Amino acid sequence: MAKREPGSDRDTPSASGATPGNLGIAFDLGIRLGISVILGLGGGFLLDGWLRTSPIFTLVGMVLGIAAAMYTIWDVAKNAMRR
Amino acid sequence: MPLAASESLIHVSIKAETLFTIGPLHFTNSMVGALLASAILLVASWWFLRRAAMVPNRFQTAFELPIEWLAGIVAGSTSRWRSYVALVIGLFLMILIANWLGLLPGVGTIGLVRESEGGKELVPFVRPASADLNFTLGLAIITFVVFVWWGVRLHGPLGYLKELAGEPRYMAPLMFPIHLISELSRLVSLSMRLFGNVFAGEVLLATMLALTTAVLFVLPLAFFIPAIFLGLELLFGFVQALVFALLTMAYITLAIAERQGGHAHDESAAAAGPDGAPAPAHA
Repeated sequence: MAKREPGSDRDTPSASGATPGNLGIAFDLGIRLGISVILGLGGGFLLDGWLRTSPIFTLVGMVLGIAAAMYTIWDVAKNAMRR
Repeated sequence: MPLAASESLIHVSIKAETLFTIGPLHFTNSMVGALLASAILLVASWWFLRRAAMVPNRFQTAFELPIEWLAGIVAGSTSRWRSYVALVIGLFLMILIANWLGLLPGVGTIGLVRESEGGKELVPFVRPASADLNFTLGLAIITFVVFVWWGVRLHGPLGYLKELAGEPRYMAPLMFPIHLISELSRLVSLSMRLFGNVFAGEVLLATMLALTTAVLFVLPLAFFIPAIFLGLELLFGFVQALVFALLTMAYITLAIAERQGGHAHDESAAAAGPDGAPAPAHA
């Protein structure tokens, strides 16, 4: 793959609105919300099992998972508005 | 003893069944499906490279049209589209063939009958590769590595970690795990969506076939009802392959576009033509 100088080329996605890529991200958003919470909860549960600190990390993981889900919405909206 | 299934058609195992073992390697029926899909793609590529004409006939056009359409979508994403168009189209074709392989007669219905705790059960010789989480997770990991690599390539390893830590810096202990979970959710969602849809399709087809062949007086329905669902699975197989490919493209596009950060406006202005009109979508 040929190396290019950063910034030598235009890096912005096409500004054509509802592109198939954007639609894909929109469809993907719902499932990512659920998965973020499950990942946080699961990670916290595993940490609790490992460190025997139940339920501290399960609760922390759940809060982080929910925060990650909200962040995902904000991130997708921010990227959509940037374009 | 190899035979066609009759009473155990409704059984669809959530994990791929082992056909035989070579040392520590368990050779499963979904591996047969993946190898078959790869072989079909390789033979088709070889055939098209030899027979492709400058003025395509209808048969060639039927194959080229969807690929050109997808290549057109990728070309509209960023100016660096040539670096990843092969990956996106390759993923699309591989998943499409792997999905549609499950609709062929005999796939999932011809195999070995083995004794198990619940009685006899059928172990099919071939299982659609996408109905195995290992396959879909493997593809999702490839996608994940590629878009993270694009991020690292454009930001540098330290810059990428700084992106994950977020701004302001004192919020890093909170933002780093949130960003990490958000990134990992892409990997999980890609793999679980494809696996879930294809596996659900397999279960649906097996259930419909078992229901319509269960009672003698509805036997004529066994020819029509599964055919409707086979048609739907053709459509779902295409849609899922397309969604996976387009999300791969979208994630890479985002990794490239995020490099600009707060300089987006300046670079957009630089990319605009002398009259202020935006430059074409791709080079």
